[in-house]
Amino acid sequence: MQKNLHKKLELNYSSSVLDIVQFGSSIFEGSEPNDIDVAVIFKSIPLKQQLEESQNLKKQLEGQFRLPIHIKSYDFYSFFDKGNFARENILFYGKSLVYERHFAEIFGLIPRLQIYYSLKNFKKSEKIKFNYLLNGKGGKYGLLRKYGGVLVRPGMIEIKPEYEKIFSKKIGALISDFRIKRVLLNK
Amino acid sequence: MLYFLLGMNAVGEGIGGSEWGKKEVLERTAKEYFSSAREEFAKERYNSSVVLFFKALVALVDLYVLQNTGETPSSHNSRFKITKEKFSDVYDILDKDFPFYQDSYHVLMTKELAEVIREDAEKLAQKTGIKL
Repeated sequence: MQKNLHKKLELNYSSSVLDIVQFGSSIFEGSEPNDIDVAVIFKSIPLKQQLEESQNLKKQLEGQFRLPIHIKSYDFYSFFDKGNFARENILFYGKSLVYERHFAEIFGLIPRLQIYYSLKNFKKSEKIKFNYLLNGKGGKYGLLRKYGGVLVRPGMIEIKPEYEKIFSKKIGALISDFRIKRVLLNK
Repeated sequence: MLYFLLGMNAVGEGIGGSEWGKKEVLERTAKEYFSSAREEFAKERYNSSVVLFFKALVALVDLYVLQNTGETPSSHNSRFKITKEKFSDVYDILDKDFPFYQDSYHVLMTKELAEVIREDAEKLAQKTGIKL
């Protein structure tokens, strides 16, 4: 597993750069990515300058990560263009390598995953097992405490996007019928 | 012995001829792609224009490598490897522009991007001494 991915980095860049955002498969805790996708968000400057600066950042990032870096350059206009197929992924899952927060927070939004599940028709022992999974047992942390999730109400938990795969895998091992909703909350 | 020497000579000429041929082919393809790219650009078909400017750029990169090493890359991988090791300024251009070529199937390219890649092709033409 690649560790220390979305950490704050020492990078040199100009004031034209608004944010440097990691996105794609490497964002997920517990994943084994083949590469690291990075989006550089610029103020409105000529494309030529954007690409040159991104290339410079790519070199710096290659010096800090073991995996190949795939870099994309955007200003807000090109970022929100319908032709940008990575738009939703970057907006929801993207994490700033500059500010150590989710990229969506630049817009005053907090991305969260809401997981809905039902323990109806479950045996008591199965319900207890599921409770241990979420809340822990005998001093051992459960998923919620370990990954900063919250039980909003019975049948619904809220977690950070980067833990989607971990929760899906663990919950999926006990419950087949659950659904995940992506939400952007007000900060 | 004479036959052997003649044979060697024939092979030697063959290699020399082949190298000359490669240079001609690369120069010709670069010019053809560049000219087609300009036509597509004029028609505001920027995806086609980007792809063709990039192909012209690649032909010129190969020509530059051939001029300086006597060899031509056989694939994108070897092109990246050779330029990264020996011609970092050329590698930077290639590495910067290649993702757009890859994306050209499913992303709408802009006029500004086509202009950037055209400039890079022109830069390489200058390095190789080719008049596009």
